[in-house]
Amino acid sequence: MTTYRIEKGVTPGQQFEIEVDKNKIVAFEGETVATALMASGRRTFGHTTKKGHPRGVFCGIGLCHNCLMTIDGIHNTRACQVLATPGCRVETQKCVENLNEVK
Amino acid sequence: MKSNELVIIGGGAGGLAAAIEAAKLGVETTVIDENVKPGGQIYRQLEEGFQIHSLRALGRDYTRGSRLLNEFDVIRSKIKYLNNTVVWGLFPENELVYQHSGRSESLRYRKLIIASGAYDRPVAFPGWTLPGVLTAGGAQRLVKTQRVLPGEMILLAGTGPLQLVLANQIINAGGNIVAVLEAGTIIDSWFKLLRSLWGQWDLLMDGLSYIFNIRKAKVPLLLNHIILEAHGEEEVKEAVVARVDKDWRPIPGTERTLDVDTICIGYGLVPSAEITQLGKCEHQYSPRLGGWVPKRQENLETSVPGIYAIGDGSGVEGSKAAIAEGRIAGIDAAHTLGYLSASDSRKRKEPFEKQLKKYRRFRKVMDKISEPRPGLFELAKEDTIICRCEEITLGDVDEAIARGGREINEIKRMTRAGMGRCQGRMCGPFLVERIRRTVGLQEIPGPGHLNPRPPLKPIKLGSMTTVD
Repeated sequence: MTTYRIEKGVTPGQQFEIEVDKNKIVAFEGETVATALMASGRRTFGHTTKKGHPRGVFCGIGLCHNCLMTIDGIHNTRACQVLATPGCRVETQKCVENLNEVK
Repeated sequence: MKSNELVIIGGGAGGLAAAIEAAKLGVETTVIDENVKPGGQIYRQLEEGFQIHSLRALGRDYTRGSRLLNEFDVIRSKIKYLNNTVVWGLFPENELVYQHSGRSESLRYRKLIIASGAYDRPVAFPGWTLPGVLTAGGAQRLVKTQRVLPGEMILLAGTGPLQLVLANQIINAGGNIVAVLEAGTIIDSWFKLLRSLWGQWDLLMDGLSYIFNIRKAKVPLLLNHIILEAHGEEEVKEAVVARVDKDWRPIPGTERTLDVDTICIGYGLVPSAEITQLGKCEHQYSPRLGGWVPKRQENLETSVPGIYAIGDGSGVEGSKAAIAEGRIAGIDAAHTLGYLSASDSRKRKEPFEKQLKKYRRFRKVMDKISEPRPGLFELAKEDTIICRCEEITLGDVDEAIARGGREINEIKRMTRAGMGRCQGRMCGPFLVERIRRTVGLQEIPGPGHLNPRPPLKPIKLGSMTTVD
């Protein structure tokens, strides 16, 4: 597996797990939810409401709102701005098209 | 409602410098910062939890930033520093509203210094919404302070020195860069650049060492090259690049496709002028400074008395200029609040005004090299998304212009472009240029920029009810 995390010259903080769509991934203290997701190899954070296009981190500094996810039950949260916490729950938001598939 | 002598919006280079100077002179100073720690974008600190062994691993900006942050730490006990706090409204009678931990509160200021900073120019090209395409600033934050690489095969496309900085950070972190595309030419203007940099040895050394490292890592640095398209179904798989002429228009026959999974876009910065716009300050359009910028007097006060604008948010001139401007505005505010005489204020400001002149001389040369050329605004095709929030295409925008839309807010009402969550931050700069270039307008009909409304950033609806 590719390592996206940079290890050179850094001691990471405490390691813990977060839940992403019912799967567990590793995160470290100080990482945002977006960082933990990208470090796990995931780039697509959701699909747009109208056209169902894939989106991920774009501006990376909280302006573009392309990395919106449901975090600990709060919808439309910017994954790049929220720090991962032990056991936090992250869910992909469904676009209208996908909503129809959800029974 | 709490009353404050001086409120500074923004905890980046400019905001911190303003706070340091004002607090030194005894002014009761409040800094409101959206981030967890002071430093802003360029001097962003590591989050709690990480430990770095060597400051040098984080680059020269980090070392330079730590000097300013130390200065801030020394006087911090005299400053009220609100972190994690978003300013979302300015209202009559000097009222400012902000949200902190889910609650909104308001305060009154006597003087306000807006140091809102800048962000990467959003450049619309086919495929730019695909996951894997991200701004150079976003990539820099990931690499520098989040310690994660944005991908495995990275392409840097853009212009100017910030690209070289990012390339160095990725190389030092062990990342794999496929190529660095520079739309302009560095060599052509080398002598001019050298002349303007005379005396600023640290900047000169930075530039040379960045290029040296890129060469050493055997990363191709392609001058006069631009990104045309990103390809992929769910994520970026390929990039189409081409050689460009001096107007940054692709030269037919030079296109080629590169296998990449990440594209970092860095075509300069645009000022975050939302707060000065909300504050009803007069603005002017300056392509050289990145777009719409507040008009300012010599003391850096805007057209609204008592409101100053400093740093990249009032015209992109870099962090060193932002610090000099911050110090000038901090001293000037202290003077107008009665903490020092006019002549003392002049004396104190003088060295910083001299510095500012020097930095601006250098910027002018850089700007000539890096100012976006027409080709950058011609990359989008009919079905390319322009407004990422409302998913409005170039075809939609062009149709509105063809139907007579001439002012950006008309286009907004006709198409919904700019009505989404980002409040036009991503499509606004392109829309202004598209109208200007399609219709051939010399002067932009007013107001010409999108009118930001409170709340400036998404806040919890419930938090509004906590305001007195």
